[in-house]
Amino acid sequence: MADILKEIAPTKIERNPDNPRIFFRDEEMDTLTASIRRYGIQVPITVYAEGKHYVLIDGERRWRCAKKLNLESMPALIREKPSRLRNILLMFNIHALREQWDYLTIARKLPDVIELFKKENSGRTPTEVEQSELTGLTRGQIRRCGLLLELPKKYRETLEEELSLPKHFQKLSEDFFIEMERALKTVQNRVPSAIKNLDSARDALIKKFRKETIKNITDFRMLSKIATSVKRLGVKESKAREALKGIFDPNNKTSIEQVFAEQFELKFDERRVILSADSIYDFLETSLEDQAAVSVSDKLRKSLSRLNRLIERFLKS
Amino acid sequence: MVFGTFSDRKRLVANRSLALCRNEWGGIRLRTEEPIDAAINWSPTFHMRPNSTLIVAVEVNEYLFPEILKIAAHDIEHYNFPIAVYQACPLDVYQNDARLARANLLADHGFGLITVDDAGTTRIHTRAEPLAQHIPKSRFDIALRPLTQRLKIRFRAAYATYHIDIGQGLQAAGQIIEAMITCIAKHAEANGVVPARTSNRGTADIIDALSPTNAFRNYRAALGGARHFANRYRNIASHNPRGPQEAAEKLRRCKEGFLEALHIAEELRAVMLQLGCPLRII
Repeated sequence: MADILKEIAPTKIERNPDNPRIFFRDEEMDTLTASIRRYGIQVPITVYAEGKHYVLIDGERRWRCAKKLNLESMPALIREKPSRLRNILLMFNIHALREQWDYLTIARKLPDVIELFKKENSGRTPTEVEQSELTGLTRGQIRRCGLLLELPKKYRETLEEELSLPKHFQKLSEDFFIEMERALKTVQNRVPSAIKNLDSARDALIKKFRKETIKNITDFRMLSKIATSVKRLGVKESKAREALKGIFDPNNKTSIEQVFAEQFELKFDERRVILSADSIYDFLETSLEDQAAVSVSDKLRKSLSRLNRLIERFLKS
Repeated sequence: MVFGTFSDRKRLVANRSLALCRNEWGGIRLRTEEPIDAAINWSPTFHMRPNSTLIVAVEVNEYLFPEILKIAAHDIEHYNFPIAVYQACPLDVYQNDARLARANLLADHGFGLITVDDAGTTRIHTRAEPLAQHIPKSRFDIALRPLTQRLKIRFRAAYATYHIDIGQGLQAAGQIIEAMITCIAKHAEANGVVPARTSNRGTADIIDALSPTNAFRNYRAALGGARHFANRYRNIASHNPRGPQEAAEKLRRCKEGFLEALHIAEELRAVMLQLGCPLRII
């Protein structure tokens, strides 16, 4: 059946129970309401017929605004009723190409996609690549959703509460939880003795973030660096453990940034300089062997002379 | 499910403010998420008709003074049924409104405000009056500017009455105009322009006596305005509306009359200044 464009009364339309989107923030709806009032609905919504009603495939925000504005009718593209998997995937793909949903929105619906896929494919679980092809999401996005899905219920509810707030009231974002979970996973793998209770560690980090002891969500990357310093830099595990325990203690004001700067940053800088020095050494050695030293540019010669003087000063100090 | 598409937080606000409105207005002919009428481009979160001359409508929104209320205001004002509109929002939205800028705008446009805290405690912060009768404070203040201090005090008292009883408020504004006309008449009597005791007559008669005289030749427009005002708005307060349409019409006329009184007071004040007529008004 070909798609049909028709004017439909918003009261005859129902929301799609499979729409992953659950957060409709008033502030954003307000802007859309004003736009629809001023310019009308420029892009038709997409629906399918179900008995005497229509069910939304795409355009829940426009539909809500049309109802709020008490519009008599709105333009809609009527499609054939899709299968449940196709229904969900249509919504995923529409949004992957347009404005992106909240990750939690996607994460909540991804298990349904996997289950329905398994039903249609003799119980085979879709690979990450297949999930990406089906949903129109990148593999990175699917992995991020996975991190949110693995969150314990308590924290998912906390995140849901936050996401339902107007944007300027939101303190804990999806990115916060994604960064925190990544860092905690690294700590668990590298210095397992630093975390006795994962939820207590989460609570401490959330508390410190709310109190701005942890100022930025990218600070969690430093937490990962502290954990990896044992293997990468040869830092004693006991030192890393004590540092991490201080960060996971909710009753002190120790920040990740402070611990990293005081105890680990220099070691990471040293490692970086060693790698750079090794690289310069390799280049110079190869150039000498190839007798290519005479052909290097003046700019490099000047730069190396300057470096040589500084190294001599540094080593004598 | 009522308010089924709302977030938990918004649903709490909707349910608690609905409970408060039921207590306050009885919840008669309550409708949730339905339009009031096809003529109004707005479906409030809920509305009710506490009596035959008032609809109370509430918009639950986490954004203070949302566009939808601005859009609806014009339709509501011209609708043939008085409608008082409230916005209900979480308390923290109100508390986080910098310098209460948006909350004040909401009130200035005649909308009431209900807040609900996390525990569900509900409070009416600002009372709404039917939009058809609302005179914004900002507009009133601008109209007061050219008047004398004594007139300002009298009009402020009339404005306060207007919020409680719109008819009485208009009557109070009318009495200021009458007092100004009487002052002008007394001054004219003292100067032999009109016969003695002209000022004891009714306002319309006084104006009829003053207008044909040479001394008031240049002030006939101002006097004509006052005469029209006395005719058009004198008895509005004493007429009880027989239905919602008359009630809405009465509100519109009272509002129009009150604003007219302010304008006429400004013109009569100018006349008095030019005549050197003192304003003796208690």
